[in-house]
Amino acid sequence: MKTKVSRLTNTLVTLLIAIISTPVFASSHMDAPLIVLDPAANTTDVYAFVQQINGVKTLVTALGVYPFEEPGIGPNKYNFDDNVLYAIHVSIGKDVAAGLPTYSYEFQFKTTYKNTKTILQSYLGVIQDIGDSAQNLTQTYTVTKIDHHKNKSTLLGTGIVPPNNQGIATPYYNQGTNGNNPAIDGVATSDQLDRYTSEAITNFPSGYVAFAGQRDDGFYGDIEAIFDLLQLRSPGKDSQAGFNIHEMSLGIPISELGGDQQVVGVYATTSRRQVVVRDDGQKGTVTYGPYVQVARQGNPLFNEGLVAIEDKDLYSRTSPSQDKKLFSKYALTPELAHLLNAIVFAPNSVAPETNRTDIEGIFIPDLIKVDLSTGPCRLAGGGTNDVANPDDSGFSRLGIFGGDTLTSTVQAGFGNGTVPGGWPNGRRFGDDVITIAVTALSSDLRVSPPIIHGPYGDNVDSNDVAYNKVFPYESTPHNGRNFTHE
Amino acid sequence: MQVHPKNGGIRFIIRKDNKLYNSPMKTLICVLMIACFFSSSCQRVKSRIALDDQREKLNDVVQNEAPNPMELILLPHPGESKIDHEISRYQGKIRLSQNTFQSIEHLGWLYVAKARESFDPGYYKLAEQCANCLDSEQPQCSEGLLLRGQVLENLHRFKGAETLARELVAKRGLSFDYGLLGDSLMEQGRLDEAADAYQKMVNIKPDLEAYARIAHYRWLKGDIAAATTLMQMAVSASSPNAPESAAWVTTRLAFYQFQNGKPDKADQSCALALEYQKNYAPALLLRGRILLSEGKANEAVEVLTESERLNPLPDYEWVLLEALHSAGREQEAVSVQARLDKCGPSTDPRTYSLYLSTSGRSNKTSIELARNELSNRADVFTHDALAWALASNGNAEDAYKEMQKALVEGTYDGRLFFHATVIASESGHEVEAAAWLRKALVNPALLLPSEQKQLSQVQTLIGEAAKQKAVTESKTAALFMMEK
Repeated sequence: MKTKVSRLTNTLVTLLIAIISTPVFASSHMDAPLIVLDPAANTTDVYAFVQQINGVKTLVTALGVYPFEEPGIGPNKYNFDDNVLYAIHVSIGKDVAAGLPTYSYEFQFKTTYKNTKTILQSYLGVIQDIGDSAQNLTQTYTVTKIDHHKNKSTLLGTGIVPPNNQGIATPYYNQGTNGNNPAIDGVATSDQLDRYTSEAITNFPSGYVAFAGQRDDGFYGDIEAIFDLLQLRSPGKDSQAGFNIHEMSLGIPISELGGDQQVVGVYATTSRRQVVVRDDGQKGTVTYGPYVQVARQGNPLFNEGLVAIEDKDLYSRTSPSQDKKLFSKYALTPELAHLLNAIVFAPNSVAPETNRTDIEGIFIPDLIKVDLSTGPCRLAGGGTNDVANPDDSGFSRLGIFGGDTLTSTVQAGFGNGTVPGGWPNGRRFGDDVITIAVTALSSDLRVSPPIIHGPYGDNVDSNDVAYNKVFPYESTPHNGRNFTHE
Repeated sequence: MQVHPKNGGIRFIIRKDNKLYNSPMKTLICVLMIACFFSSSCQRVKSRIALDDQREKLNDVVQNEAPNPMELILLPHPGESKIDHEISRYQGKIRLSQNTFQSIEHLGWLYVAKARESFDPGYYKLAEQCANCLDSEQPQCSEGLLLRGQVLENLHRFKGAETLARELVAKRGLSFDYGLLGDSLMEQGRLDEAADAYQKMVNIKPDLEAYARIAHYRWLKGDIAAATTLMQMAVSASSPNAPESAAWVTTRLAFYQFQNGKPDKADQSCALALEYQKNYAPALLLRGRILLSEGKANEAVEVLTESERLNPLPDYEWVLLEALHSAGREQEAVSVQARLDKCGPSTDPRTYSLYLSTSGRSNKTSIELARNELSNRADVFTHDALAWALASNGNAEDAYKEMQKALVEGTYDGRLFFHATVIASESGHEVEAAAWLRKALVNPALLLPSEQKQLSQVQTLIGEAAKQKAVTESKTAALFMMEK
């Protein structure tokens, strides 16, 4: 039957070639593909939350790129791109409302090979320590702080990227130091981290701490069902389960941001270099232009879930300073609220569809607002039943909707300084951002006390693997040797 | 997120009362079925199938009515690759009226991806049908224009692609639109205008697509070092999540490395391309050429046979033929040559014309093929093909004029240098011939064995002419001295 179908289709392909009277020529061999995604510059998620690290109150920030890294596809292909400028931006003071960066922390990578006269691109043997002679493809990075008000740039430090988790070549990522085993689960203390991750955490002067490398994708959600006409299912399916990403994490001492009595904003961008097409009379050289922003990410789901298709590219190219002008409409009148009413809640109309100043307050400008005056947030580990690495007491994936709150000394919040323990006050690993977002859209947070409906979600309530409760927080990357999707 | 599909859209498209198409299409199908019977062996490998069976199946499908675009794009799609599964998935979505417009657009690009992956241009036709469906839903929509433009470009209808690209640029001016415009101009030999379009493209969005195009532009301008740097940037931006694109840019990088006299690096890049996409025909072709240049004819035959099986085009057949001759496997060469002669004029007239001229079988056909191609695709390589055809037909003077057009951009290409050498020599431009000869000899591995042989012959001729000239000059000088 399969053969018949195949032949039938080929018949029609043949026919189609001829239907239009012009001849079908050979491929020109010159055309590059026209529409391809740019995963190395494609941001997945941004995280920002308050923690104590090495006894220092710290704003932890993280940027994920390279969605859907298939662990089993091979070690050679997923790397940071030397030609991309990765930046985590922090806004303080008036810059928060204006959507302007006060400080930018730029990650730039450099790729080298210890031996190019071999086909063994990534590993020349079993890697004992990061950067050792067996780690052939090695990426190093610099982190540079840009102070936009003083127009000053400062090199904070350099780091080395640990290898991707391939299996036998990278045993220390995996349980029992055995490359055939799954990756080590999340841990509760720094000394329990796997060797590569531990070695790749770099302390910079002034209390900064940095990491860049492959991790599990800590986002969870039934994206397929959500974008399949909101036809949710129970149980939901974690679309990101089993995929890795590449992540940059930076712990910023709050003292470096002017102290903790403030709410700051965090977002991230990726930019690529322009080049000059024509040579400038000198053959062999490429003249580079400025970096051009190709992706932007602040709060989860804004561009993905609220901004219309025709403006998604515009969002990626623009600064949060333009959000009020360009994208407020998507927060004030969210189409998703209308769709929830039409598809999920019909015949009732639960979600207010217009004048959503509460939603606008979260998303416009699209910075993750973090109240630095609170104590450290509660962290997710492996759930409440994980004996070795339980969630912090009081942690709820639903944040404020699950009773997980913090106390602010700089804002009244929902009364007496009560602010959400997770997103949209910062964003932690483990925050169920889909359920929080849908619940927020379905509720009315404009009135006091707020009218809460829900929680409503996608029936995916946790990540596929446990998080670390220590820097860099994101889980160990899946083992490529024994983990692949069908 | 446009969740509410325009439910009426599908019904409108698939209804069978479209009188506009009905009658002409019926006639056309009958004609085509007869035509297919005689010409199917000149279609792609996957389309070489028994037509008796086809007729019956086709009748079942079209039910004596004109196939409409929606029916065609939703035909059951076989195959087990990731793209095949995606095609089936999006067909399912469209059948269920889910996100119809976006799903059709996505399906169109999947067909483009499938065409690139499989080298089966029939999929471009399906992509074109997707563009028709988009047009039915939203006449003159940008999504449909871009998809159609990409199809036209790949079917070598460059002027049509340019028209659509200009419309898109005026309408919205996204990086893709400038990319399409640049591509269509490039193929028409309008490099300066193409450079402007690519500059706008990369200014808006620097990425793999832009870097790869600029690399190609620099290569055409003879700047192989810059082209290599830029293609390396494209490779860095590639991903195994888009394996064909990754394989494509990596193979282009390999090609530049080979041209730059670094066959080892080129072979490594080919290996990487084949990791991205197993059995990637262009990478196999280049690998075969590298092996052939190293004198490993039998090994080359193995690789080239596979590449020709995957993509039976004149480019591939010609190189395989040369490898078979080099390996002394003449009997096998006969069938390859038969295929080349049968399909070459229709599938890739420019390459076939070059082949005819190089193999000493040049005739009026080779000139006609090149001239026809030139009317559509006036880039340096078509000028070269025409010059070479003219020269091979004994018209050295016109060949020389045409060759100047091929050389005007300064493209670094061994075959261009070889042709320039021969044509300059035959048209009495000895100094130029010697200069081009020096360039051609920098890396003769870029030429096929038969071309290398001819270059060697012309080298001897030029050497003898130079020797003769030197002797004459020295005799004249001696006479002059004696007279003094």
